[in-house]
Amino acid sequence: MSEVTRKPTTGPAAASPGEVPTIWTTGWTDVFNTGTWRAATPIHEWRPSPCHADCPIGNTIPGWIADIREGAYQEAWLSLVETNPFPSVTGRVCHHPCEGHCNREVIEAVVGINGLEHFLGDRALEEGWALPAPAESQGKRVAVVGGGPAGLSCAYHLRRLGYEVTIYEAREELGGLLRYGIPEYRLAAGVVDAEIARLLDMGIEVRLNAGLADRAALESLEAEYDAVFLAVGAQQAKILRHLEGGAGAGRVLDGLEYLRRCTEGVARDLGERMTVIGGGSAAMDVARSARRLGHQVSVVALESRGAMPAQPEEIEQALEEGVALFDGAMVAAVEAGADGGLTLKCVKVTLDLGAPAGELRPVPVEGGEFALAADVIVTAIGQDPDLAPFNGAFGDGSSDGSSVDGATGGFVECAVLVADPVTLATTRAGVFAGGDVASTNRFVSEAIGAGRRAAYSIAEYLSHPDACIPERPKLEDSVNRTEVNSFYFEFSERRERVVAPAAERLQAFAETISVYSTEDANAEAGRCMSCGFCVQCDNCFVFCPDMAVQKDPSAAGAEGVAPGASECASEGAPPAGAAVRVVAAVPCVGAPADSGPFYFVLDQYCKGCGLCVTECPRGAVRLEQVNL
Amino acid sequence: MHTYELDEQTVFNSGHNACPGCGEALAVRYVLNTMGPNTIGVVPPSCIAIICGPQPYSSMRIPVYQTTLEASAASAAGISRALKRQGKHDVNVLAMAGDGGTYDIGFQALSGAAERNEDMVYVCLDNEGYMNTGAQKSSSTPYLAVTSSTPGGKPSDKKDITEIMAAHRIPYVATATVGYPDDLARKVAKARDMEGMRFIVVLTPCLDGWGVADDGAVRVSRLAVDTGFFPLYEVEDGERYTINHGPKGIPVERYLEQQKRYRHLDADQIKEIQTGVDHRWSLLQARAESMARPVVCD
Repeated sequence: MSEVTRKPTTGPAAASPGEVPTIWTTGWTDVFNTGTWRAATPIHEWRPSPCHADCPIGNTIPGWIADIREGAYQEAWLSLVETNPFPSVTGRVCHHPCEGHCNREVIEAVVGINGLEHFLGDRALEEGWALPAPAESQGKRVAVVGGGPAGLSCAYHLRRLGYEVTIYEAREELGGLLRYGIPEYRLAAGVVDAEIARLLDMGIEVRLNAGLADRAALESLEAEYDAVFLAVGAQQAKILRHLEGGAGAGRVLDGLEYLRRCTEGVARDLGERMTVIGGGSAAMDVARSARRLGHQVSVVALESRGAMPAQPEEIEQALEEGVALFDGAMVAAVEAGADGGLTLKCVKVTLDLGAPAGELRPVPVEGGEFALAADVIVTAIGQDPDLAPFNGAFGDGSSDGSSVDGATGGFVECAVLVADPVTLATTRAGVFAGGDVASTNRFVSEAIGAGRRAAYSIAEYLSHPDACIPERPKLEDSVNRTEVNSFYFEFSERRERVVAPAAERLQAFAETISVYSTEDANAEAGRCMSCGFCVQCDNCFVFCPDMAVQKDPSAAGAEGVAPGASECASEGAPPAGAAVRVVAAVPCVGAPADSGPFYFVLDQYCKGCGLCVTECPRGAVRLEQVNL
Repeated sequence: MHTYELDEQTVFNSGHNACPGCGEALAVRYVLNTMGPNTIGVVPPSCIAIICGPQPYSSMRIPVYQTTLEASAASAAGISRALKRQGKHDVNVLAMAGDGGTYDIGFQALSGAAERNEDMVYVCLDNEGYMNTGAQKSSSTPYLAVTSSTPGGKPSDKKDITEIMAAHRIPYVATATVGYPDDLARKVAKARDMEGMRFIVVLTPCLDGWGVADDGAVRVSRLAVDTGFFPLYEVEDGERYTINHGPKGIPVERYLEQQKRYRHLDADQIKEIQTGVDHRWSLLQARAESMARPVVCD
């Protein structure tokens, strides 16, 4: 029998029938082409996770969480700042849509992505990690008008791509909304200072107190620079005309103005009782700041609590801090009150679901009238960009922001500067616009994302050899709940950041939320299922009955394609037309193309059963029908 | 995250004739690649013989003797004794038979070899029927499962081969399945490194015979364990029980609904099967506990 094992493996032809009994084995089955049975082919493919698809900045979230799992915090942070130069800021104030469709919910609860970002951001500031160095100079100059999140993000990415950047900021300090629009207890000024200083260290020129005064100023920037990015934000508060006159005269303030007074410490003398109108984050910021300064505060919001644009935790914390919420209501009229204050005639409302998108059309509920007493009214119902300086420079595409009248008409969202949704180009060649000035999607991370997109668009416009606009993956293309295999994940409770008790919060403007401990961060990172993002768990290899899934990189051969090598592939799509039979295990942005072993499928043997697809815990293998 | 670490050697070849997604081919992979190349195989007529290869080809890079359906254990015992006679004490002898060749037709040879404590590893790849010849019932087919010879569902219960073999008081008896490959490989390695008669019954879903999707072998196999239908445990010397994986509180219906052979069941029958599963699980636990107690003599 030992004779058998010494026979060549090339099949029966190699053995002469005269030497060996015909019943003896003379060859191995690996000469057979069982791959011809196949009706479908498994493909190892990096696929976007839902958190990635939901991230306005386009962050490859499972990639840096995997780095945290391995304790490589600086690598994780470097991966994070590939897209977002402000993790410490967004770790505090991002509305974290990334947690909205997290597949971990099938096990117990979504992953605390925002908390992990907070952890990495603060770790970087503690350790003094520097942002990546700019690329070789492209010899071109770009003006960024506006030093808020959109402008700073654009400046960062342009600088990294090798452009000379000058930021023009109207105020005395950079930061925009981050500095002037978000109270200290949510975002400490020190954090904003530190992340901006680190960004400026890359070599970005800044001109403070240098706003864009008029159309001529824009034209001179166009003449002086190769491209201009307008990110001047939206700083004109919408007003409610029906409250301004009569008894309300001099008693109505807008939210931005109030928050500014808070930072200056002169907000207390407005009277004891405050009513805040609005249901967004700004309204919560005003209400909670006012509570810290000792006001009695009520909030009147058109939307019902669940539909308010403010984050649920903001509303919850505001209520804990003693804010009285009147949701699904509006202030119809203001009258002089008996005690020298104001009486607000309010009414419960429902919202007309048939109203056009972006418009709130309240319908009063019969018998829903009630009254509130107040000394001061603060409106926080949104802001319009100040388009006056552009003075028709963009043709009919933009119009002056308009006020709204809650008593008679709809609450129309503001007019914004019109920019192409993909390229952010305006009607003027070489002028781009993004952030609040060009969008009604008013979130810090949306602005940072717009700045990033604009930078790559400008680079494309300026014929950068490598850059192209990153394509954001679609949620419907991301790994969904039916594609993860829950067997492989054990129950592990979500770690929460500690929020100070309400009584303590009301004492000061100190930050209310604490950062994860290293232990919590590691545990939370361990909960990430790494959807669509191969972590080389070997399940596809282990469960192949035909040994057709292999992992020796040397055998990958010419069929292998490793997306991620160029910036263009950074948001997911492998190079167009590529034969993706083999994909690098860690094809994220910045990952070297040769990192980690390959899995590859042997065409000759794979019978197409799909076990590797089903047993992949994270949806990183997909089955494609074979076209005959 | 749960991951598997298998210490595999290359014995089982690609290009074999198992159906796409075959649970038995997976089992053969883990068994052979754990046993290693220093092994002589014995295979009776069965799907394993098909997987092994059409003569003169083989998918197993070891010498394999294809014996008769009755004689797996007898053949393996003969080879084992002959090797010892030649002074070769370091060669593993592995019999791999199906449930037909183990529970039914090969049973007397198996029982005899166990009684003599022959030195071999005997692995039964149990797909609960004569799947190779058109899915007839065997004494391993579970209660109410449809086969081509029990079109209304099998009226009798599955034979408990694990307890029968444990009752031979042989050194090692274990249950395993492909949905728990690390557990399976560990048991094979443990058996390989022991002496005397070692017996492992591996539940291997038959996609065609059970009516399971091509990508379902691992899922169904895991559900068999997680619902308590097929607990994974070991018995050493007929009395030292170790339960490795038992029910996780998942109703047995989740297991049954994955398979066409149970599609005819009504709610009462499912309940009856659930009751049987619960009962056998409590018996196993009681047995494991009572057997662990030291024997006290007056």
